[in-house]
Parts: sequence; C-alpha cells; structure tokens
Amino acid sequence: MNIRVVIVDDEPLARLAVKVRLAQQSGFELAGEFGDGDSAHEGIVALRPDLVFVDVEMPGKSGLELLAALPPAQRPMAILLTAYDNFALQAFGLAALDYLLKPVDDERLDEALDRARQAFPYRGAGRAAATPAPLIRTFSVRAGARTVLVPVAEVERIEADGDYATLHARGKTWLLRERLHNIALQLDPRQFHRVHRSAIVRLDMIAELRALTNRDALLRLRDGSVLRASRTYMPALTQALQHLDPSA
Amino acid sequence: MSVSTPGVQVETPLFVPVLAALPVCACMAILGLPAFGHGHAAAFRTLYFLACLAWLMPLALLQRTMWRRDWPWARMALALLVATYAMSLLNAVLGQRLAISLGLETGYHWEELVQGLDGCWLALIAFCAVHAVAAYYLSLQQARLHLAQARAAARDAELRALRLQVNPHFLFNSLNAVAALVSAQSNREANRMLGCVSDFLRATLAHDGRHEHSLAEELALLDAYLEIEKARLGERLRLNMKAGPGLLDQAVPYLMLQPLVENAIRHGIAPLATPGRLDIQLAREGAQLVVEVHNDGQRPAHTGSGIGLANVRERLRHLYGDAHQVEAGWRPDGRFGVRIALPLRAVEDA
Repeated sequence: MNIRVVIVDDEPLARLAVKVRLAQQSGFELAGEFGDGDSAHEGIVALRPDLVFVDVEMPGKSGLELLAALPPAQRPMAILLTAYDNFALQAFGLAALDYLLKPVDDERLDEALDRARQAFPYRGAGRAAATPAPLIRTFSVRAGARTVLVPVAEVERIEADGDYATLHARGKTWLLRERLHNIALQLDPRQFHRVHRSAIVRLDMIAELRALTNRDALLRLRDGSVLRASRTYMPALTQALQHLDPSA
Repeated sequence: MSVSTPGVQVETPLFVPVLAALPVCACMAILGLPAFGHGHAAAFRTLYFLACLAWLMPLALLQRTMWRRDWPWARMALALLVATYAMSLLNAVLGQRLAISLGLETGYHWEELVQGLDGCWLALIAFCAVHAVAAYYLSLQQARLHLAQARAAARDAELRALRLQVNPHFLFNSLNAVAALVSAQSNREANRMLGCVSDFLRATLAHDGRHEHSLAEELALLDAYLEIEKARLGERLRLNMKAGPGLLDQAVPYLMLQPLVENAIRHGIAPLATPGRLDIQLAREGAQLVVEVHNDGQRPAHTGSGIGLANVRERLRHLYGDAHQVEAGWRPDGRFGVRIALPLRAVEDA
C-alpha cells in the first residue's frame, strides 16, 4: 500500500524538485500538489493524504498555519521545507516528521522519506508493522584483491563520499561501496547516529559538543577530529546522548 | 599624529560656567566673612557679591560668543579685560548709590570711582580664566574621544573589507563546479554540492558581524567549506583535521582558517597529479592557541605568498598587534606549512 503524498509550495520548480525525486522512490504516490495555503487546505481535507511536503514560507497562509488549521485527526504526516529556517521548534510542536533546508539534497530527502515509511504503519490501525533492516555486526570491505572484515564495534565514524562511504576505525580508513543512507539503516541507533548529511558517528566517541549560534553544533571526538552536527539532527542526537549508557 | 589645535568647542554644556563660578563665589564669600557684624561693611560686601554674581551669566555668554566666532586669544583677553573693568565700574556706582541711601554720603563722587575696584575686577577676571580653562579642557577631551572613535571606525571598515575579499571567488568556483556536474549529468553530485554551498552560505550568514568568534564556529565554517572541496576533489584530498581538548570556546578571528586552507588546496593539492594530504592541527601551547596547516604540494619556481595569507596576516596585525606570530613557508620535508600562534582567550558569548 503506497503512501499518498501532497506537495505544497508556491514555487513550481520547488514542487518539481520533490516530485521528480519522489517518482524515483518506491512506495509513494503523488495525490496532488498545491501552490498556496488556502487551496492546499481544501485539497488536504478532500484528498486525505498520508504525507504532505509543506513549504514554510508562502504568500497568504504559511505552511505552519496550514498545518495548525487542520484538526489533529486529519493532519497528515508533515515534512517541512524551508529556505531560511527559524521554524524548527514550532515545527516539532506540530509534530512534523522532519524538516528540510532548501536546496534539498538527495541524501537528506531519502532520509526524510525513510522516516515517513517507518512512521506510516503506526498511523492507521491494522497495518502491518514495517520490518526494520537487520543490524549488521561486520562490514566486509574490498581492499585491492583481498576482503577485510571490519567489526562494527571498531568503527568510530563513517563519512559519505559520493556513492561511497569511508569507515574510520582504529586510525585506519576503509572505503565501502555503499551509500551512507543505507548504512545508517543497518546500524544500532543506540550506538550510532547520523549527525550530518555526510557523517555518522559512534555516540561514545563524542568528547565535546558545542552548540553554535546557527543551532548547528560542533563535535570533537575522542581522537581529536572535529565535525559538524546539523541542526536538523540535533534534537535526536541530544536525546540519544542522554540515554547513552556509559557502561555499554 | 596631526591634531588641529582645537578651538574651544562652542557646545560646552551650560553647567561649565556654573562650575567655574563656584570657586570664585566661594572665595568672595570667605573674604567677606570678617565683615559680618561690622554694620555697613557687611552690606557693601553683600552688594558687591550679588552684583558680581549677576554679571557672571552675561560674562559667560560673552565668552561663548567669542569662542563661537573664533576670536584670537589676545583679542579675547583684551575684550574681557575691558568688559570686566566696565562691570566693576558699574558695581562701584551701585556702591556709591548704597552709601547715599544709607545716608553715609550726600552725592556721587565720580573722581573716587576708579578706586577700590580690585575686589570685583579680580573676581570677574578669575571667573573668566577658570571658565576658559574648564571649557578648553572639556573640548580637548571631546576631540580625543572623536579621534579614537574615528580610528576605531577606520580599523573596523578595513577589517570588514579584508574579510569580504575572502568570499566571492570561492562562491563562483563552487557554482562553476555545480555547472560542470550538471553538464556531466551527475545530478546527485550536483545536488549534493549545492547543499554544501548552501550550508557554507548559511554559516556565513549566521555571523553577526563580530571580528572574532569561537573556534567551534570557525571549525564549523571550515568544515562546511571543506565539504565542498571534498566533493570537488574526491579521493585526491586526504584530510586530517584534529583539535586538542578544551579549545572550542577560544576566540579566533572570523574566517581565519578558510583562506589558509583554500590556499593549501588551490596552490598545493589541486595541481598535484597524485592524492595530497592536508593536515590541520589545533593545539594549546602554554598561553597560546597554535594553528598549523600543512599540505603536500609542488614547490613553485617563483615564490609569492597568496592574497589569502597576506589578508590573514593583515587582519591578525589589526586584531592582536604584537601578540601573535605567523610563519609560513616550505619545510624540509617538502611540504608547505603555515603556523599561527594567537593569545588564548575564551570568547564572550551572547
């Protein structure tokens, strides 16, 4: 059963960007698209989509006003789009699934859609729960002619490198022919967390976390390396760090 | 330093003549004290005191008028002497009038008028002098303040200009790379690159205009920039960025690292046929924050340090004076290195 999607954005090209990429995904179908808040309101009430992409800044009714005006029972899962964000907290207040900064890159969009897939079964009653991907314990990495097995427990962080990913483990790096997005799905979320479009970090490697004025944060790992944590990942990251068991 | 000798500023506040009058009045009052209890003497003293007091306001206004018209000092002094002398004479006339009404005299003695002017005349001259000195002092202070403000503004403008040199060519290069990716139909990569460029712009836009910010902010900016370079160079850039513990709150100049790293990549690693290593190290050494950027590269035949490094040097000189060191050059191991030492100081955050 497909997830039915409505796209609301006043810019046709912005709608196109979401539409084109949605078409490449399985499990989603476009139910409608709207260019302003008022027609979107009527459309959502009539079409009852499962998921809605909403631009926050629109002439007339803003994306947030649009969501707030819908009764909670009729409110679809929402992914907010914004070019210049000051809206994150409000968005989470309205239980938005995710919010994306424009221009939206593919990695980030894929991830938002994953969240939608995971949340979807819990929305209506009687739907089968999605089976999460099995967790992996070892990465097998091709290094020249041989294959090296890198235990997941030794991996400190993973960096995206186009369609590849670089594993950092015990001072060495290994190139893995897999996208970060797919790797993230196979890792234990209690141990590893996505902190940025292009980085996954093992939580117990984080030595310092410093908030930045733009609501991103900078992480310093125990080996001295530094990397950014994007604001869109911060709420989940802080929560995971609070629940991090030091003895684990 | 050339400061044009400040003429007394006309806009000295009105409390200045009042303050100047205080010591003069106090002197007159103290000198008059012994006269009390001696009948008529006290009356005369009081009359002269009040008369002088009445003259102070017109006298102060006269002085201000002369300052406003920029009279030379000698002319001003002469005019004031004449004016105060005339005022004293009028005081003496009032004194004779009092004597007549008290029945001590029967008529005016014009020939005695010029005698006994000392009390009033000296007091009025003293007032003029104190007033002039006070006003002059105040205007000098003001001129100093203006000068300091002007200097600070000039320094600020210069720093801003230096900072702005950093951005545009980087931006156009990135857009060019995006255009190339689009032409090659590498859509995913093009999108990713646009995301990186937006990240970097967002980070620079979040900056509030201060010349310094925390090392954490600086490293985040640098990381956003490096991500663009990583996308452009891929495997050819081997990056190693490490920071020591407890440094993230230290103050560093805004966009200090990015031009250094851009240099290292553009002139060092990008022209190489083989992958190049870039090492960025941040460490505490005593009371200093030491930044080191080392990169592989081909030593050029003619040496000229890039505009980026000159720009950074200039900004550091403005911000820290002698309290910093910059060393740059090719090292024995064949790599290029920049080492900057700054005073350690925690940033005061909003």
